[in-house]
Amino acid sequence: MPGIWIYSEDSAVARQLLTAGLELKNAMKQPVAVLTLSGEEAQTFIDAGADKVYVVKGSNPWPESYANAVADLLTKEQAGVLLVGGTMRGKDLAAKVAASLKAGLVTDALRVACAGDGIETTRLVYGGLAVRTETVTLPALVTIPPRTFAEAAVQGTGQGEVVIVEVANDDNRVSVTNVCPIVRQGADIAAADRIVCVGRGLSKKEDLTMVEALAAAVGAEIGCTRGISEDYRWLPNDRYIGISGQKVKPELYIGLGISGQVQHVAGIRDAKVIVAVDSNEKAPIFEAADYGIVGDLYEVVPLLTKAMQK
Amino acid sequence: MQKLLVCYKWVLDEQDIKVTGDLSLDTGRAKYKISDYDKNAVEAGVLLGEQHGVSVEALTFGTAAVKQSLKDALSRGLDKVYWIGDAAAEQADAFVTANILAGAIKKAGPYDLILCGEGSADSYSQQTAPRLATLLGIPAITFVRQLSVADGRVTAIRKLGDCTEEVTVTGPAVISVLPEINKPRIPGLKQVMAAAKKPSEEVKVADLGLAAGELAPKVRSLSVKGYVMDRKKVIFKEANQADNVAKLVASLAQEGLC
Ligand SMILES: Cc1cc2nc3c(=O)[nH]c(=O)nc-3n(C[C@H](O)[C@H](O)[C@H](O)COP(=O)(O)OP(=O)(O)OC[C@H]3O[C@@H](n4cnc5c(N)ncnc54)[C@H](O)[C@@H]3O)c2cc1C
Repeated sequence: MPGIWIYSEDSAVARQLLTAGLELKNAMKQPVAVLTLSGEEAQTFIDAGADKVYVVKGSNPWPESYANAVADLLTKEQAGVLLVGGTMRGKDLAAKVAASLKAGLVTDALRVACAGDGIETTRLVYGGLAVRTETVTLPALVTIPPRTFAEAAVQGTGQGEVVIVEVANDDNRVSVTNVCPIVRQGADIAAADRIVCVGRGLSKKEDLTMVEALAAAVGAEIGCTRGISEDYRWLPNDRYIGISGQKVKPELYIGLGISGQVQHVAGIRDAKVIVAVDSNEKAPIFEAADYGIVGDLYEVVPLLTKAMQK
Repeated sequence: MQKLLVCYKWVLDEQDIKVTGDLSLDTGRAKYKISDYDKNAVEAGVLLGEQHGVSVEALTFGTAAVKQSLKDALSRGLDKVYWIGDAAAEQADAFVTANILAGAIKKAGPYDLILCGEGSADSYSQQTAPRLATLLGIPAITFVRQLSVADGRVTAIRKLGDCTEEVTVTGPAVISVLPEINKPRIPGLKQVMAAAKKPSEEVKVADLGLAAGELAPKVRSLSVKGYVMDRKKVIFKEANQADNVAKLVASLAQEGLC
């Protein structure tokens, strides 16, 4: 089946991609198919508007091992577009499929549209400093980060075809063991409404108590820059915000002793209000802030804590 | 284990790139650097090389400027660098890059392990390692935070957002490493001096036997624009911090935030 194909090992993400897929369907006048590893979820894709669902079944449960099978199927079906959920596993698989198909692949697109005889995308480059608009010739692959789109709504007749495809995906060169869920310490800052974020302006770990007091007064979770978690290990890795860390979208973000390098700022762009406290008036964070105080955080934080407690 | 290869990219330092008034990028004052993620790959390769007494080579593809990278790369403990400086790099997408790297690896190889950074600091496409693995017909182990080799088998711990997994591979493989895998060494004067004596070899794209189609990008850039945020930028900078805090709190109250 030519047309628009969707794949994610995560079914919720696949339903989000359906939202983008259905827009392309309208523009390209071609059907939408979902490729899934999860037979139980097949009907949910049909309900959300997919014309066809292919349930791919192999003996190897490792999602990445399906790359060859997916590439073979897409070649046979002459797929025009493959949208892949931009999880880490999804990006791994997408690149392998693209290599097999000798196709172009855009990573982490924020927008996909049909343009002429290709697909047009936008994405961030240079650590979030710039936005690049690109075209990809067909067959075109695009990965889209989770939560870029809302899940497609249940609609229409719920009529569509479900096909089961048996594939060979054994690979005796690779064995996967010890799959351990990562247990978060504390709340998920990606979902926090308010965040007090601390950077290397903090001189020692003990001073985190002062930051915690402010966070408590504001009702916020504590986040940090990469150096605080990866270099100093003062806070767990899932607390650092930025292009390679967590992307956050709080109502209020208060940054303390954070210079505001692009890789950090890329993670806070969706914050509603950004407040910065930094002793260096020229720190780039002030360019990215709604409100700022130029000052020593050791002086400002206790005053701010007191004022916010009231 | 006989031989390891690390791929690295020579990129503009994004810290030096300025967004101008019309949102175009001013790269005039930007210097080049080895992509930060690739410094972790170089370090991982060199550490394995030291542990197992095997040679570690590197491969880089870029424009003519890539030649400037040799000294820095070699001072990080590599034994040799193959470099491809070609204008094709200007427009190359991950498809073209992987074709060229795979061609060069087939020529210089075989290698037991090929290490890459997780993505590049400029375009961060995260495609090179898995594409290379497919083109070379060997497994890819991506997003690796811990790596060890014993009895000809590679064991890697991957980190995948919500879980970690341990993957063991026999035979050659392509590995992409996460920044958290190590702290890249900072070369000292001695290493920099030693680098001058180490070999490097230029590889020509024309000698890789690639068809024209393999050198034509599938992804083309239409425009690049600085990303600017529309923020209020109300900055309080009186000497008296109590005044600043009072003004900030008043503003937050107006926003309905306290
Ligand atoms: C490829 C790549 C990916 C990266 N990804 C991320 C990422 O995802 N997230 C991330 O955070 N970083 C990331 N980084 C690192 C990033 O470039 C910056 O180095 C980092 O964000 C800086 O952290 P910082 O602001 O805490 O420290 P610094 O840049 O050192 O800034 C410290 C600030 O504190 C101020 N200060 C010092 N003392 C005081 C005081 N007493 N009171 C008030 N202010 C004070 C200083 O004026 C300065 O502005 C990445 C880097 C690279 C190369």
